[in-house]
Amino acid sequence: MAQDEEMKRTLISDPHLNPLGAPPGRDPGEDAQHPVRVVSKIVWRIVDVIVGGIFIFAALTKIFDLDHLIADLGHLHLGSIIVDFQNLRLADPVQFANDIDNYKILPWPISVGLAFYLPWLEMFCGLALILRRLYLGGLSILTGLVAVFLVATIAAKVRGLDITCGCFGHASQNWNFPTHLAIDLAILGALLALSFRVVSGTADDPEA
Amino acid sequence: MKSSLVRQALVLAALAFVPGLVQAIYFGDKVSWRSPVPASEMVTVTRARAWGENAIWVDARPDNEFARDHVPGALPLNEDRWSELLPQFLAAWSPEKRVVIYCSSEGCNASREVAHRLRKEAQLKDVFVLEGGWEEWLKTRK
Repeated sequence: MAQDEEMKRTLISDPHLNPLGAPPGRDPGEDAQHPVRVVSKIVWRIVDVIVGGIFIFAALTKIFDLDHLIADLGHLHLGSIIVDFQNLRLADPVQFANDIDNYKILPWPISVGLAFYLPWLEMFCGLALILRRLYLGGLSILTGLVAVFLVATIAAKVRGLDITCGCFGHASQNWNFPTHLAIDLAILGALLALSFRVVSGTADDPEA
Repeated sequence: MKSSLVRQALVLAALAFVPGLVQAIYFGDKVSWRSPVPASEMVTVTRARAWGENAIWVDARPDNEFARDHVPGALPLNEDRWSELLPQFLAAWSPEKRVVIYCSSEGCNASREVAHRLRKEAQLKDVFVLEGGWEEWLKTRK
């Protein structure tokens, strides 16, 4: 009986065995309410929303023809924005297929298939981060996509290919290589930070 | 956690497949799955040769490759010196003539890009990309 009590005390006090890490006699919820933890939680949620939003925007620029809308938003032509929404149409996937094909890694039929598929995958994964549903899956897919894209971009540069990113549709067509690289590295960094947080167990239940 | 991650990734991959498929069906007749250029905008060497004087040949390869050798009568028009070479090309062009553009081989991209820009920027209509490019032309020349 005394041995059982001793074991129970050890289990509760050992932070490795007790996932909440709460010392004996302390309310586990008390730790979660700590101001630092609350602020940290809010900051990470903002990172989730920003990263998820970037991928949703990237997907929308490839799925819809947003040229006029982005231009009018940029110039604050508010009157035209409603008209732009009314005239919104699906973008030509050939442009994005050409962007993928320019990397000279995949055969054309696969580039076309990816031109249809990738924007929707980005969209759903971005939503997964924002809504915190299927969070781990979305995070891992996006990290993989950005990593592959980075390697492909660097490889294309090394091979001397003049590639167009296409990552944000027409909005990114005139970006130079260092700009591509800097933005992709920043996104990858944010995704890795989110992944590390989940893996290290410092995150709350990502689906909560 | 690992199995949950894989399961979630598979669910997302499957979810994205559905609208992607619908979009592919919607664009079915507008996108060529076999070649980046629609079949109607491609031309074989034999057919382009048959056009004779009614065709202008355009070499989209870099200047050094054009200087080494090119299709007799072809005009250079590459993206490196686009603004310089385009006026020369337009001076030789006339509406009744078809434009045949080639680059190094089947896998090169320059002829597609030049064709795209001629249609978009110069509003030309009868613009064709040569199947197999310069390599194919060399084979048929022998």
